[in-house]
Amino acid sequence: MNRRILVVALVAGAVAVAGQPLTPAERNANIESFEQVWKTVRDKYWDPRINGLDWQAVHDELRPKIEAAKDMDEARRVLNGMLDRLKQTHFGIFPGDIYRDLDSTDSKDDRESDEANPGIDVRVLDGRAVVTGVEPGSPAAAHDVKPGWIITHIGKIEVAPVIARISKQFKDSTLLDLRLSRAALSRLQGPTDSVVHVDFWDAADKEVSLDLTRARPRGKLTHLGNMPPQYVWSEWRKLRPDIGYVRFNMFMEPEPLAATMAEAMRGCQDCQGFVIDVRGNPGGIGGLAMGVAGWFMDRAGVQLGTETLRGLTVNFVIFPRPQPFRGPLAVLVDGSSASTAEIFAGGLKDVKRARIFGTRTAGAALPSVIERLSNGDGFQYAIANYVSQGGKPLEGIGVIPDEEVRLTRKQLLEGKDPVLEAAIEWIGRQK
Amino acid sequence: MRSKRSFRIGVVLAVAAGALCAADDLPKGEAVLDRYIEVTGGKAAYSKLHSEITTGTMEFKAMGLKGKLTGYALEPDKRYTEIVLEGIGKIQEGSNGEVAWGMSAMQGPRVKEGDERAESLLQSKFNPDFTWRDLYKSAETASVEQIDGKDCYKVVLTPKTGSPITKWYDKQSGLLTKMALTSKSPMGEIQSDSAFSDYRKEGEITVAHKMVTHVATVELVMTVENVQYNAEIPKDKFEIPEEVKALMNKTAK
Repeated sequence: MNRRILVVALVAGAVAVAGQPLTPAERNANIESFEQVWKTVRDKYWDPRINGLDWQAVHDELRPKIEAAKDMDEARRVLNGMLDRLKQTHFGIFPGDIYRDLDSTDSKDDRESDEANPGIDVRVLDGRAVVTGVEPGSPAAAHDVKPGWIITHIGKIEVAPVIARISKQFKDSTLLDLRLSRAALSRLQGPTDSVVHVDFWDAADKEVSLDLTRARPRGKLTHLGNMPPQYVWSEWRKLRPDIGYVRFNMFMEPEPLAATMAEAMRGCQDCQGFVIDVRGNPGGIGGLAMGVAGWFMDRAGVQLGTETLRGLTVNFVIFPRPQPFRGPLAVLVDGSSASTAEIFAGGLKDVKRARIFGTRTAGAALPSVIERLSNGDGFQYAIANYVSQGGKPLEGIGVIPDEEVRLTRKQLLEGKDPVLEAAIEWIGRQK
Repeated sequence: MRSKRSFRIGVVLAVAAGALCAADDLPKGEAVLDRYIEVTGGKAAYSKLHSEITTGTMEFKAMGLKGKLTGYALEPDKRYTEIVLEGIGKIQEGSNGEVAWGMSAMQGPRVKEGDERAESLLQSKFNPDFTWRDLYKSAETASVEQIDGKDCYKVVLTPKTGSPITKWYDKQSGLLTKMALTSKSPMGEIQSDSAFSDYRKEGEITVAHKMVTHVATVELVMTVENVQYNAEIPKDKFEIPEEVKALMNKTAK
């Protein structure tokens, strides 16, 4: 029951509660939360030596700071500062406000979401925030926003300096692409029906200013334990009469995803090849990496990798489905493919079941869980290390594609998807 | 030379004497297991049981993940368990004395083999506490250990096939307080510790209504809400799902 997702990255910047002085009860709750976080790492971090850190010294250094924290922001900085010492992804604190909807008694489907957006997907290409996708029927589509347009401003924020700062800060990190796209996407997100002003350069580099309404994201709002609610969807289609294509935005909601996969298998029994697109997929439930792989594996006993908890080693074994697809399989990835998406792509590459196309993934692949703290905040922490079947960890390395294919603005403006085209061409060459 | 040899013999005798004393002080494994049957209802009450439907909840507390559990058991060896976890969906496990299988939307269908199959078939025997003599080749009381401040007999049960299971029974009440076992599957060897509490009567049988299981750093809490004995169970509950049959047919080919 392991779950993987870069929740902290997803919600970063989405909620801000600052400046409110703490009541004595809130201060005590923060101190209690500090102890909870510190003890959890001490007792559950997979390496009992805590990466060689003097964890007691970290406690003794930071405890006075949590006691002196004047507001929630400062308290969270202390907690995140403690977790930063581990130098790992999947450790972080996120504000309890994101549970507002979960804790309410309203029906789940009626809950407001701060994840509403105008229907634009964004990647940073050559130092510029470029629209890489526009959701059909979305507010952005209604305003005829096109892939390949450059976003220059979101609200009053000029995007270029933000990109420059993040590029400098993460220049040596595999997380760079993910951080860059999240920086843009998180600023586009907000409450449903709110309006965000966005300045673009269109295909002719002419400035276009639009007030875009944020709409409820595509998919079904799903809930999984303490994980913040997420909108989840999956789809399949034929790219050509002989090539199937499956895409899903997260490794969540096993039943609808299994239904999509089953339908794709039935509809594409005689296909020559399949493409699984996990570009922009931040992960989700770890077990689903094995589950989806089972649709493409006919040998028993093959595993994607190994997870090591304190006192337990778990093989990520693929259980073949009754009638798996045996033909060529291409998996599309990019720098925003993270966690379970990396476990899936990396493992299938290592066992030579799939050919990987795109750009290096985020290198953020630690199994984690999310607990609620006494102060109401969420606490995500990794419970295990993960090594892909090729013998290397994915954390900090990522999955390196067999065929590196980079998106360019020019190709997007021409309506092309060079990564997908490379995969189709490869499938066409297979016998 | 003689003195050295005498010393060695003395040590061997002392150890042997100690072992004998320990063995003499401890009740035999079968006495501990039989007492458990007595204190939870008695042989006569257990003899009347032929089927069981258990409903309850399960929760991975740290993760806030909750679900419902329903288990069906029919003598002599049929068992079907269905767990529905919010956000995960339905997880099914079953066995019919021959085939042990599992199925979920996440992993799909699978047929258990080897040690995993043997363990599942063992666990699917009806009334295993009552019929333990048919299932285990030995039950040895190893020691007295304290569990939550109470003296407990530690009994090691060795099945005819599969890994030993260790159980701790409260010396005073005779109730099962803890169990440790190692489960084998293609995903690896998984050691678990389970603590049993909240014993209450369901019909004529006293049942633990709370079980807290630890696997590495993960805690799972299971709560029994209701146990129905001898209720009629639809026969199709124990049928092997079509997806599992498809997998079996594929393997057979």
